[in-house]
Amino acid sequence: MTEEIRVESLARVEGHGGITVTLKDNKVEDVRVEIFEGPRLIEALVVGKTPEEDLNITPRICAICTVSHKYAALRGLEKALGVKVPKKTHLTRELMHMGEIIESNALHVFLLALPDFLGYPSAVHMAKDHLEAVKAGLALKKFGNRIMEITTARATHGENPVLGGFGRFPSSEELKELKKTAQELIPAAEIGVEIFRGLRMPTYMEESMVFMALRPPGDEFGFVGDRIMISTGECVDVEEYKSVIEERVVSHSFAKRARFRGKPFMVGALARINLLGERLTGKAGEYYRHCYSLGWMRNPLYNNLAQAIEILYCLERIPALVDEISRLKDPKIAKPERTSGKGTGAVEAPRGSLYHHYEIKDGLIQKCDIITPTAQNLDDMELHVRVGTEVLLNKGHKKDDDLNLKLEMIVRAYDPCISCATHLVKVVEKG
Amino acid sequence: MADKPKAGFYGFTGCAGCLLTILNCEDELLDIFNAADVKSFLMANRANFEDEPLDVAFIEGSITTEEQLEKLKKIREKSKIVVAIGTCSCYGGVQAMYFGDGNFEKRWKQVYGEGKIELTEAFESKPIDEFVKVDFYLPGCPIDKKQFLEFYSQLVRGIPPRLPHYPVCAECKWNENECLLMKGKLCLGPITRGGCNARCPSDNVPCVGCFGPADEVNINSEMKLLLERNYSREEIIRRIRTFAGASFVRQFSKLLGEEAKK
Repeated sequence: MTEEIRVESLARVEGHGGITVTLKDNKVEDVRVEIFEGPRLIEALVVGKTPEEDLNITPRICAICTVSHKYAALRGLEKALGVKVPKKTHLTRELMHMGEIIESNALHVFLLALPDFLGYPSAVHMAKDHLEAVKAGLALKKFGNRIMEITTARATHGENPVLGGFGRFPSSEELKELKKTAQELIPAAEIGVEIFRGLRMPTYMEESMVFMALRPPGDEFGFVGDRIMISTGECVDVEEYKSVIEERVVSHSFAKRARFRGKPFMVGALARINLLGERLTGKAGEYYRHCYSLGWMRNPLYNNLAQAIEILYCLERIPALVDEISRLKDPKIAKPERTSGKGTGAVEAPRGSLYHHYEIKDGLIQKCDIITPTAQNLDDMELHVRVGTEVLLNKGHKKDDDLNLKLEMIVRAYDPCISCATHLVKVVEKG
Repeated sequence: MADKPKAGFYGFTGCAGCLLTILNCEDELLDIFNAADVKSFLMANRANFEDEPLDVAFIEGSITTEEQLEKLKKIREKSKIVVAIGTCSCYGGVQAMYFGDGNFEKRWKQVYGEGKIELTEAFESKPIDEFVKVDFYLPGCPIDKKQFLEFYSQLVRGIPPRLPHYPVCAECKWNENECLLMKGKLCLGPITRGGCNARCPSDNVPCVGCFGPADEVNINSEMKLLLERNYSREEIIRRIRTFAGASFVRQFSKLLGEEAKK
């Protein structure tokens, strides 16, 4: 007998999607994470356009990762055209990017993932018993948005970051405000780490994993780099991203898929902490050393804890970053050295490594290739949903709502964006 | 007191930034949910009631698959008022910048190659009013938080909401900014609908036109100004079309001539 387990609204894995597990004689025959989100063909739309136009268009791929798209595009385009940005621009970009990491991680850790673990249908229901956690999540999310408003001019799709610099640098009052709020919110970030480290992490989906993240230059933690680190021990330049990430189109999804040497892999906070956690200092470093275990290399659910630690890292980094920015004079916008060239820019978006590759001729884009974190994580989600279904059914778990919830929790751990706050699950039996 | 109006929030193809902007109203969120009886908001709420009729439906995103089209028609049928929120829903957004140029298939192959996708039939993105009647438009990429709150509170009280009819250029003057066009920048402020408080020009960044066209703008004059500043006709049209391709094709193709259609 063939039957299907369907998780229908995995919404906002770059849009709308679901999971279907097909069972044959109680064994998993197929797992599909389906993406129904309509295609937009962004990579084709920017061909024939100027770098400035690309910077207006590609961030519109995703509202939640808009700053990461802008930043990856800036890095790719500036490499291609030989734009050398001054230190203040570089540091202000680091600040704007942290705004997005804090906002996105806080939303996921406190408001989307936590209700699953504590047994509530939503953050609103959870607020009755865990008001402190909900308030902490909202305060952190708001702060992340505030950083983006100040540095990019809007919480979503701000146009202030431009090729070679910023239209306007944040004022010293605005920077002071950010420093003060970052320091005040450290206890809120600790609430997230404390709650997640106190939970018994389910193990039903565990399987050995491959992780990939960008390696920041120097020996500090961070979210930008020009080298790709892989948990197998390899390390390649971002220009060679195609040698480690093989992309393909599958018939059940409008999102492309990616593998590493034929194997699924994971990108995102868990990958970053697994590969770079040793570089963490301060409270983030202390928590990392207290919480870390071998399970982090096998269990995607630890992504939630990794995200909570990253929020703390950002809050601890911001005061020093702001001080450094305040000391520097506003530089002029850096100009391109040439009008033709190739360049690959990569940054760590909240949910993983994001690549923007450009080929430019006489000032116009000839080719654009974008690989999003979601495309990289989809195969890994399917792998763990498969393992989870097999393990749970072998243990005699019924095919009920609770099974669906457990499978959804796996997918939600990868932080497939905001609408996962809601979900509608049904089991479809065939013939 | 009369019953609260029943409202629904829906998202189609886009970046989800407009619905996210609503959820980013952290301080007003509870009031938003209290002012109306929210029957559906997939992004924020688990319990959604799709069978009930609505007084007002807010729709984000453009339409690009048959499945979405069916859903859109159902929402229209059960709703007294349909509001298009965001530039994708109002004008098609960036994914519709080449609206009607006949090269959709070519671009499709550039991204997906020859690979077949069996989910549902996909076509070039179109604004929702290509398929259903729209009662009000609230453009922006994304929508402006303050403007949404004003618009929303008027709607739920039964007052027909109004948008600024003036362009970004007017707001920019009120902010006493130095004119970027005068500095030779390709700024779309004179032809783009206001409502953002001239956010980008106030940061020395030219307006990219993300709110779509303002009413009764003088596009010929904008064209002339930019041509005088040595921008090519081709680039000017391309920029104008970026966020509001469908709308500009409809409104301005006569003024711009055949080039606008290409």
